[in-house]
Amino acid sequence: MKLTINEVAQCLRLPVSTVERWIRQGRIPIQKTGNRYLFNESTLEKWAAMYKLPFSLPEKVNATPQQIKMENLLPSMKRGGLLYDIKGDGVETVLKNAVENIHYLSSSIKEILYSSLLEREHLTSTGIGKGVAIPHPHDPLKDMIKNSLISTCFLEKPIDFKAVDGKPVFVMFILLSPSTKIHLHLLSRLSFCIRENAFVEFLKTTPDSTAFFSNIVDFENRLVKGEGY
Amino acid sequence: MENQMENRLLHIFRNNPFGRETLLQSLYFCNKVGASPVIYIPKTTKFLMYFDNDVVQVDLDKSYLISPETAIQRATELVEQGGISARFLDPKHFTASTLPDIHTNFDYMCCPRSISDMSSKIGLGYIGPRVRRIVRSARFPVLITSPVYKEWKSISVFFGGSANAIKALRLGFHIARASGIQLDVFTQTEKFSKKDYQQMIKDRNLEEEMDLYVKQWHFFENRVFEENLYDVPHDALVILGAFGHGVIRNFVFGSKMEKIQSTISNNLLIAGPNYTTIR
Amino acid sequence: MRILTSWRYPGNWPIFRFDDRLLLILMAAIVGNFSGLASVALNRSLVMMSEWLHHFRHYWWVFVLPAVGAALSSLFLEKVVNEGAGHGVPEVIYSVSRYGGLLRFRSSFSRLISSCLTIGTGGSAGPEAPVVISGAAIGSNIAKYFSLNDRQRVTLVGCGAAGAISSIFNAPIAGMVFAIEVIVGEWKSVNIVPIAIASVAGTEISRLLQGNQIPFSHHLFNIDLLNIFACLGLAVLSAAASILLTRMLRSMHTVSHKVSAPVWIRAAMGGCAVGVIGLFLPVVLGEGYHTVKILIEGEYGQVLAVLALASFAKIAATALTLGWGGSGGIFAPCLVIGSLVGVTYHHLLALFWPSASWVNEGYYALLGMAGLISGMLQAPLTGIFLIIEITGGWEVILPLIIVSAVTTTLCHYFEPASYYLKDLVEHGHLLRPGTDARVLSDLNVPELIEKDCIIVNQNMLLRDFIAIIKKSHRNFFPVEDDKTGHFLGIIHLDDIRPYLFDPVMYDAVILGQIMNTQVEVVHPDDDLLDVARKMDMKGLFSMPVVVNNRFLGLISKATILDQYRKELMVQTSH
Repeated sequence: MKLTINEVAQCLRLPVSTVERWIRQGRIPIQKTGNRYLFNESTLEKWAAMYKLPFSLPEKVNATPQQIKMENLLPSMKRGGLLYDIKGDGVETVLKNAVENIHYLSSSIKEILYSSLLEREHLTSTGIGKGVAIPHPHDPLKDMIKNSLISTCFLEKPIDFKAVDGKPVFVMFILLSPSTKIHLHLLSRLSFCIRENAFVEFLKTTPDSTAFFSNIVDFENRLVKGEGY
Repeated sequence: MENQMENRLLHIFRNNPFGRETLLQSLYFCNKVGASPVIYIPKTTKFLMYFDNDVVQVDLDKSYLISPETAIQRATELVEQGGISARFLDPKHFTASTLPDIHTNFDYMCCPRSISDMSSKIGLGYIGPRVRRIVRSARFPVLITSPVYKEWKSISVFFGGSANAIKALRLGFHIARASGIQLDVFTQTEKFSKKDYQQMIKDRNLEEEMDLYVKQWHFFENRVFEENLYDVPHDALVILGAFGHGVIRNFVFGSKMEKIQSTISNNLLIAGPNYTTIR
Repeated sequence: MRILTSWRYPGNWPIFRFDDRLLLILMAAIVGNFSGLASVALNRSLVMMSEWLHHFRHYWWVFVLPAVGAALSSLFLEKVVNEGAGHGVPEVIYSVSRYGGLLRFRSSFSRLISSCLTIGTGGSAGPEAPVVISGAAIGSNIAKYFSLNDRQRVTLVGCGAAGAISSIFNAPIAGMVFAIEVIVGEWKSVNIVPIAIASVAGTEISRLLQGNQIPFSHHLFNIDLLNIFACLGLAVLSAAASILLTRMLRSMHTVSHKVSAPVWIRAAMGGCAVGVIGLFLPVVLGEGYHTVKILIEGEYGQVLAVLALASFAKIAATALTLGWGGSGGIFAPCLVIGSLVGVTYHHLLALFWPSASWVNEGYYALLGMAGLISGMLQAPLTGIFLIIEITGGWEVILPLIIVSAVTTTLCHYFEPASYYLKDLVEHGHLLRPGTDARVLSDLNVPELIEKDCIIVNQNMLLRDFIAIIKKSHRNFFPVEDDKTGHFLGIIHLDDIRPYLFDPVMYDAVILGQIMNTQVEVVHPDDDLLDVARKMDMKGLFSMPVVVNNRFLGLISKATILDQYRKELMVQTSH
């Protein structure tokens, strides 16, 4: 493969004008005849190593790691499912019951998840106010799950979650994600929904899954339009 | 990428009526192609231009130094009439106390046909030795103005098929893009046929630009080149490539170019052998 | 066609592509020969000139000869070849510093002719600087012809200088040391080897054409401890002489520029004054190699007063010749003054301590020469090696080193920059390889510009701007006028942090109200040195680059550091 002068500059992570100047000044083993540049790739690599300069062939345009399109709320919520009438009268029991009911996860993960959720609750409450809590592990469950999921858990009766505004929590969104980045992405979308009082009122009616998901689709469409962002 | 960096034209101001014509011509060119002039008002009769692999001492004739007190004012007036903003170049570095360095980081330079000899010598077919050196060493094309201010309405490019002619053609595309004026390309068919020339364009992937920027491609079938030159519009900017060849003939630009410049009094934009296509 | 032209691009031959040492050695030999020839030519024509003019020596009007010569040489430089003023060596160093050693072709012969006219008619100046310039210009033009790159060209410029000095003094080591110490300023094997080869070539060509003779004859001295201590006094004296010469040259230069006459008239006036001095003290005339020879031999035989007077007269004559526009160098006058000072010192010693056993006056003449060279050029190694080689004696090396070292130090105290470098240092043009100034002067603003900024306009609402901040990874946002595209100001996130978290402001504030319009901007032609200074003074980390009211990009300290490091690595490590 023959490199162009622009590609050489890319390899060295330098502006082309610098490479051209270096050629003129004779600092780099490239010869210029008229408008042609003569050089040998392996010599250049050796030269770069000698001067401890970075030299790596530019990645193919296709090979650049395409930014993984991050999932939105809907698929994660569908995966996590809606859980109704979660029993319990304290944070621990509620979480325990909720985790038990997430069908998507295997039992071994459930145990780890439960303990890490508790750990996070001990740090500070995930009750974000308005009767909503978003329990999540402190560190993302990197290898244990492939896809993010959000389980929407409606509690049998509101419980004290030590939430920021002191209101008893009636609904929890258990948020699990394979990476912090996805976690933040989902969290910001979720909080966008919850910020709206109408949505919280709607949640208080304990909607069925069809009504709930169509509501989420509405929100996501608004997000796409860039409203509020 | 293009036009992000503004294009700059170096003009050396001669403070007399002849210099006025040259400056007007420069300003007209700048207006057409969207470049901004950088004007140098010399304070000494000589200066140095350091190019990539050459240093050229330009010895100006005495008329450049006439009444320096009015020079800036006159130049500013002309520039203001032209409706563009210009910068005045103040040399920062000096090789010797009377020998300033003018940097060569420009996109165009404007020269009359001669800058070092008395202007009485200037005539068709004569390009001064300093101007030739500049053309030969410069990375930028040189605008050689007609002796009197002459507006141009169209652009003609001479294309003879050599590597340098390709450069001139590319320069033509650039000017066409910048000015929005389509090109007339002229080719004297000598060794090759029309088809060969078209193939040359194809080989270099220039077809698309050819379609985009070229109004018409004229082929001169007539043997006598000078006679054919009558077909070049009188109010055209003529773009051509020049290459100094050989050891002895360093100052000769190639026969075609010499013929053109001794027959045509239009404004010439010359791409020298070291001209690098504007990125 | 390609085969025909490829010999003009030897840099492209496969064997030279990665490592050009062989190529440089080959070129160095060629350059050394040519510059050797140049110096032989000047030497020969000086001899011819003085022989021819010898017939006129007894006429009363002989004192106008130097005037005619100086005027002719000045006319030649000004009108015929149109070279600028100045004695030329700084020009070479300047070009090596800033432009990769590019020199004009005309420099390769112009100073030879002009200095021949000045010196041949009796002006007090040296032929060494002219041959150094010629040699350097020859090297530069050969490099240009073969399309060599800047680094190779600089080496060949050094080769030319080395060849010239080696050839004129028949002193290869002095030539080599001079080229590296004064001209190139970089002790690296890539330079030293070709320069050494050029010195050999230059010396060889002069030996072939003029015979292998040591310019000044060699004497055996019996040097005891007393004489070594005595040389300390000589060092002080020669330092004083160097400083006097430097100051005289400068004041003559200033005085002559106050005279409103054409340059050639000025040169003639200076020459005339030299001629008058020469009527009474003929030692001051010409380059004075002959005088040096006599002084080393110890055959000058004058009394102390005459010697002291001659020293001053020679200093004055040199200042008159060079300061008023004659052409030539400082090297040979330094030798003459040095030997005069040395002999004077010997007489002084003999006067005060007549009983002590002083070595003969030739010894002190040698030391004085070394002292003056070291003091004027502030290049101690050149002084030491030159004196050893031109006299062919190693036994004086110890006092020689002491005198050179002490004189250099003393002169440095009064005159921080040497005669060659003074102008360059004053204007900040001395850029030795691997120094901060050099790296900064090589880098330029367009190379450092960062263009991945998101440009906003002044009528944008803060709400829309916040959406842009979310996408951007920069803290700076240039603001442009949405109609004219002119740069208006810049928004730094730090400036607007208070409003960022206040949703009430989102629809109430437009960017035109919160942008900073008092920003320092950079022009692409600005020197990086100035840019860095500006950043330091204002405590800025980045500045916008603006041309004709248009925003081009940002320049930031982080990028400067990154590029600076790379540049420094490429320039220095080897």
